[in-house]
Amino acid sequence: MLTQMKVRGLLFDPYNNAYIVILRDEHCADMLPIWVGKSEAGAISFALEQVSPPRPTTHDLLKSILDNVDAKVLSAVVTDLKDNTYYAKIHLWYGDSEYSVDSRPSDAIALALRADAPIFTSEDVLRKQSSEELERWLENLKPEDFGKLET
Amino acid sequence: MSVEQNTDLIPLAVLGVTEDPNTDTRIVILRNDATADVLPIWMGQTEGAAIRHALEDLVPPRPTSHDLMASLAAHLEITVTRVVVTDVRHNTYFAAIHLSNGVERTVDARPSDAIALALRTGCPIYVTRDVLNKSGGDNVETWLSRIAPDVGGRPNGDTDTTPRRRTGTMNRTERA
Repeated sequence: MLTQMKVRGLLFDPYNNAYIVILRDEHCADMLPIWVGKSEAGAISFALEQVSPPRPTTHDLLKSILDNVDAKVLSAVVTDLKDNTYYAKIHLWYGDSEYSVDSRPSDAIALALRADAPIFTSEDVLRKQSSEELERWLENLKPEDFGKLET
Repeated sequence: MSVEQNTDLIPLAVLGVTEDPNTDTRIVILRNDATADVLPIWMGQTEGAAIRHALEDLVPPRPTSHDLMASLAAHLEITVTRVVVTDVRHNTYFAAIHLSNGVERTVDARPSDAIALALRTGCPIYVTRDVLNKSGGDNVETWLSRIAPDVGGRPNGDTDTTPRRRTGTMNRTERA
């Protein structure tokens, strides 16, 4: 079973000097936090804020390559969680076939946002991630931990 | 006075990625051995790392954004035929990625992305004579001759987030 997720925001994690992409389902019942690096967070932040930099970013280029050959991004799916690493797949329609390509979730999400494609995750992944621990962590966040991403 | 554009293509090899000692950026050095043409392109740390990883044949546990780009092309049987550094305006370099899926197509890109993709797909990298003329000059040669010994010789330099200052390689006035 797949659950559709939306990107609810980006948080800075000062303890790990990394960013957290927060994915939530429509009813805000499930949450999936994915830790990503600064440049990966930047790629997602640009898409969320619909910022168009003067020159194409790496993910703008990815989208532009796919557009040029009439390949369509169908969806991005967070497929697995193993040893604290999330795995994703990008599903594409090209020619008259469907393709799926292995990817990091950050790239899959950055591309999906640019292609207006839905983001999904499996129940298995939602179950695996220990939300309790995260909720405790989130409760301890101070307001100043939230803010705009520095790019 | 109008100068005729010289769009002859000069093939380039990526000599290495080095640090700019004065700023927190990376410089990719491209060179044609036969003509001794050199093209340095400044870029961010992330972009520099993407090129360095390809040069060092590093295979990270998970695909990077450029690995994904190459993998998407391979899955869809799109051939990256060549990348060309096509222009420089206000210190910004422009590149074009030439693709073929039966039909030849050209996609606008930053040189950093184009080079990172070229190294992963094994396609040639070119620059137009015009761009070399605009970017070149004795200053670049002099500057490079000082910095060149470090090219490619700094392990893990691109993962270090603290800019290291190397004294003696260059002074500020030379770049201005």
